[in-house]
Amino acid sequence: MENNLKTKNPLLRLLGGTKYQFISIPIFAIICSLIVSAIIILIVGQNPLMAYKGLLQGAGVLSKNQYAAYQGQITDFMETLDKMTPMLFASLAVAIAMQAGLFNIGVSGQMLISGFIATIVIGYSREMSPILAKPLVAVIGVIVGALAGGLIGFLKIKFNINEVVSSIMLNYIFQYVISFFINTKYVDPVTRQSRNIGANARLTLMQVEIADFKMRIPIFFIVAILIAIVMYFFMKRTDHGLEISAIGFNRDAARYAGINVKRRTLYVMLISGGLAGLAGVTYYLGYQPSILPKSLSSIGFDSIAVSLLGSNNPLGIIFSSFLITVIDRGATYMRSAAGVEQEIAALMSGIILLFSAMGTYMKQKFSDLLIRNRRR
Amino acid sequence: MSEQNDYIIEFRNITKKFPGVIANNDISLGIRQGEIFALLGENGAGKSTLMSILFGMYEPDQGEIYLRGEKVKIKSPNQAAELSIGMVHQHFMLVENFTITENIVLGLEPEKKVFGFPVVDIKGTDQKIKDLSHKYGLDVNPTDLIEDINVSTRQRVEILKMLYREAEILIFDEPTAMLTPQEIEFLLNIIKNLQADGKTIILISHKLYEIKQVADRCAILRHGELIDILDVKTTSTQEMANLMVGKQLSLSLDKSESKPGDPVLEVENLTLDNELGVEIVHNVSFKIHAGEIFSLAGVSGNGQMEIADAIAGLINVKSGKISLNQKEITHATVKERIESGISYIPEDRQRFGLILEMPLAVNLALKSYYKEPFSQKHILQENVFLEYSDNLIKQFDIRSGQGSTTIVRSMSGGNQQKAIVAREIDLDSDLLIFVQPTRGLDIGAIQAVRKRMIDERDRGKAILLVSLELDEIMSCSDRIGVIYNGRIQTVAKADQITREEIGEAMMGVGNHGK
Repeated sequence: MENNLKTKNPLLRLLGGTKYQFISIPIFAIICSLIVSAIIILIVGQNPLMAYKGLLQGAGVLSKNQYAAYQGQITDFMETLDKMTPMLFASLAVAIAMQAGLFNIGVSGQMLISGFIATIVIGYSREMSPILAKPLVAVIGVIVGALAGGLIGFLKIKFNINEVVSSIMLNYIFQYVISFFINTKYVDPVTRQSRNIGANARLTLMQVEIADFKMRIPIFFIVAILIAIVMYFFMKRTDHGLEISAIGFNRDAARYAGINVKRRTLYVMLISGGLAGLAGVTYYLGYQPSILPKSLSSIGFDSIAVSLLGSNNPLGIIFSSFLITVIDRGATYMRSAAGVEQEIAALMSGIILLFSAMGTYMKQKFSDLLIRNRRR
Repeated sequence: MSEQNDYIIEFRNITKKFPGVIANNDISLGIRQGEIFALLGENGAGKSTLMSILFGMYEPDQGEIYLRGEKVKIKSPNQAAELSIGMVHQHFMLVENFTITENIVLGLEPEKKVFGFPVVDIKGTDQKIKDLSHKYGLDVNPTDLIEDINVSTRQRVEILKMLYREAEILIFDEPTAMLTPQEIEFLLNIIKNLQADGKTIILISHKLYEIKQVADRCAILRHGELIDILDVKTTSTQEMANLMVGKQLSLSLDKSESKPGDPVLEVENLTLDNELGVEIVHNVSFKIHAGEIFSLAGVSGNGQMEIADAIAGLINVKSGKISLNQKEITHATVKERIESGISYIPEDRQRFGLILEMPLAVNLALKSYYKEPFSQKHILQENVFLEYSDNLIKQFDIRSGQGSTTIVRSMSGGNQQKAIVAREIDLDSDLLIFVQPTRGLDIGAIQAVRKRMIDERDRGKAILLVSLELDEIMSCSDRIGVIYNGRIQTVAKADQITREEIGEAMMGVGNHGK
């Protein structure tokens, strides 16, 4: 009855044990948010299960009842992957900075500037061969993003400017300077956005016909997944990865151990910016063909929470970015299929991200509970 | 069992477990009204846990506490304060930019009405604080800011805080750890004054001579068990020490005469600024030879930590020159210095010495992870880390829950320190810098660290020891430099200078040598 050191509650063991927390806590957060969202949907007077089904159908995870000509589940699914690609890159950008204890809140700005530079340098050269144009777009994205991220790192190590402050400021600068150029030189008078780029430079292949279905093919999706896997091994198994996490945990101890903290900080911001650059080109020259002036993509900000939801672990982020994109993409169909307002989907993402931001607290709470439970 | 008695506090069968550790196992002890009761034990013996239970920071798993004969459940420090229990923590909890009075009244602000609005009455309280401090010989100036006063005065403020709250039971957690010998005397006197005024005092310490000096009775804890309760007057310190560690222990170190060789470290006219740009070390020069322990004695904050940091490359040199083995390293990077042969055991082991979130194996290789065989073509070789770490764990008797894979944060302070010492010694550097190497460690671990240090000296290493504890300086050094206000006051061979002379030089009085 008493003095039983092992708790019998397997759920608590899963949530409280530090071994499984990296996966159990995010899943717990998601379940909590689904429950809370279900309550909200019930309050609105709709069936939450139908709403969830609608989301999954809209994102192409489940099959819809009927499709238009040339459309199928695969069409929807590929579009989800197309939107997920920049989200995954952006979240990886946030995650690697976070691993080094840096908060790159400037991913949106870095995305915008790389997307813009790639658009004007390559996007409008319609005669360039796609074989050349597409890789060039990516390369430019990486370089411009890395420079923008590196600038934040440079300001930090040289003048000790907090990266949060400088990245927020740079977000504004990029946003308005680029808006100026778009509005004065590259604007499409009808859409009020930048003129569409040529298909040769676009990183998403549109209307590709495969087995009677027309679909998008996001060329860089596979690249994003590969980079996530490489980053996982880089952080876990290489000496540079070790140095980065050492700095993230304790800058003073890292410096004491002989790690060149400044150089590593710059290096991480270059990588983070480079990844944000890839997010920028896969978004502005992939998922969509143009740039809306005076606005930043919400991907750059959502990616912070997506990264948290994935425990800053690149493999976890593959799943969390997929989840958030599914909810985002399924929203329209949810409205027509289940009669639940589209905004509920945004609310759901918000709730998930809120719960995932509570992850650290939950980790601590469950560990304490487990310890107390064991003692009883 | 326990009939009606004169115990003001009684612990009955207190048991407290943490994962993998029994911090307190079935402890029953009573503390009498008006006595000075000492709790003696090694680190991790369970002293602090027991007091934290009394102070409401932990709840016991089993057992009861009786206060003045009544059973109480103390759930929070606030409740403890209401029950007139006060605690002076090892690390002071004061607001730097508040005055002494403001700190003391914080949480219990005296009100007065101005035009009907309630405001905090600080002025009126200053006098009250002054009277209170006079009563116990705790002279402080109530209007001073905390940031302007020294450690010993800060401690007095902490004591006043308890007295202001009319605490009757005062718990002191390692109160002398940061004080000079003179300040310790002063504090012990205050403790006696408090006793004379009828307060009950619980003193947590591992310094035997202090306990001998002031305590009436002393409980000895070891591995969470109550070993014995002794009458201090009739027990020798050697007996207490033996009970505390559970085995015969020699309090003195076997140390042969040093055989100094060539100079390893040469510091010439070193001048340093602190973080705020204030010059804190002025024109300091010294040499350390192979096979010699040179120590810097001094009260905290006189520049000795900065000197150690500057040699290790953590802070920039303003002017002067540092050479290692005749090679100048004044502006070398930290890594270059590590590679050219400097080991550094820093004062703040958790802030600098370790990455608490990482496993022991990584921490033990924190200065060699990038070299072969730990890393091959930048890929970390996990089994090399584990093998190396298992080896050091065995060699240095580092204890932890899960061996090499233990997250360092979960280890005890003593074992964390052992891990740092193991890593630094295993670097096989020519110069080893030990800063406060035994701070917060128990007697067993202290002896082990000091012995290691002397062994390294005998292997021909040059050693710089920076310590605030005179005992440590006296028992380990071959040569002693006393630092005061950023200047070396005097340098002497250890056997040619007395404790008192060092004490005076530490305070800036007297003029020894030049």
